[in-house]
Amino acid sequence: MSQYAKQLTPASAADFAAASRNTFEHLCAIVPATRDGQETIATAAIVAASDLRKAVLFLRDTPEFAYDMLIDIVGIDYLHYEGHKGSRFAVVYLFKSIAFAAHRFQLKVLVDEEHLNVPTIADLYQIANWQEREVYDQFGIHFEGHPNQKRLLNHFEFVGHPLRKDYPAQKRQWLSTNDPMIDQLELRLKENGIDVLDPMPLNTPAVEDLIKGDRL
Amino acid sequence: MNFEATPAPIPQEGSSPSPYSGSSPSPYLTTSIDAVINWGRSNSLWPFPFGTACCAIEFMSLMSARYDFARFGTEFMRFTPRQSDLLLIMGTVTYKQAPILRRIYEQMAAPRWVISAGACASSGGFYDAYCTVPGIDHIIPVDVYIAGCPPRPEAYIDAARILQEKIKDEGFMRDRIQKLRDRGEDLNA
Repeated sequence: MSQYAKQLTPASAADFAAASRNTFEHLCAIVPATRDGQETIATAAIVAASDLRKAVLFLRDTPEFAYDMLIDIVGIDYLHYEGHKGSRFAVVYLFKSIAFAAHRFQLKVLVDEEHLNVPTIADLYQIANWQEREVYDQFGIHFEGHPNQKRLLNHFEFVGHPLRKDYPAQKRQWLSTNDPMIDQLELRLKENGIDVLDPMPLNTPAVEDLIKGDRL
Repeated sequence: MNFEATPAPIPQEGSSPSPYSGSSPSPYLTTSIDAVINWGRSNSLWPFPFGTACCAIEFMSLMSARYDFARFGTEFMRFTPRQSDLLLIMGTVTYKQAPILRRIYEQMAAPRWVISAGACASSGGFYDAYCTVPGIDHIIPVDVYIAGCPPRPEAYIDAARILQEKIKDEGFMRDRIQKLRDRGEDLNA
């Protein structure tokens, strides 16, 4: 971190636009981060889904910017949004630089309703794994190449994507079982180098009995 | 509850003197089985705390020295439903959690009672959303509701007193006799 701080000056939005003219501008359209355009620290850009990984790698690995922290991945549903035209969904990536503490970068990918696919960045930022799962869960946007794309917040029996604007807010869904998440546990054990000799099948009567306590 | 003292048996001439005879009080009581059972149950509730949100924080102060819930017989927190007879639900219950709560309730042995503490557990509170159960009485039967967001410890104590009154009004033998009588009528019919 500190080696950047010694050599470099923090990049403002204007500096960023100038510095990235060659490498970045052909990828993205730099847009104001706020509506009034007065924001000087945060920078925003709209990027095509096919160029997302290139843009993220540029932001992460260019030492002048070093956006090495992914704060959040957010889905947006523009259905019924006043004055909006074009793609219905968007995915916003919020980056932060640890070296230049105040600096933020928003990367926005527009996603059409017909083609709900965005390349994953779970291999570039570890935290993106869960954040992409959350966006998939709530908006139904698929992340191509994600190692484990499952619902994160909602139950595995849940049908639909509740943060979509056309999901009825009053709708209630009854769920029949509690989620033992044994598959997730085994995945974590394997990651930590522990062998799972006899993987337990999920949601079979035997597992149900085990949880209920009928079988010891 | 009525405990009626029975006069001590009159010692017969020639028999060995009873250890209770003389001026000591009578060792016998007559009462109904219901009264004894209800007295025991209502004064020894073993709660299982199912705390999911801020109401459970208030419950901590209830259990600690200042309010001391144990004074009222709810002495012993049990963290397994198998050993408890009072389920205290404190906080928001989501649909994802609903099957877990239902299972915990089913694991409790009868007799069992449920107190729903706070706005969220009783009605869903201000969460009018896809994920929140609008009141746990959609899942399990509830005996006493506590209002508040979160309820003060006094409200918990009040609920415990109401529940104790309710338990004292139950009829263990009465229900059994009624059940036998119904069965007899079925046989006669």
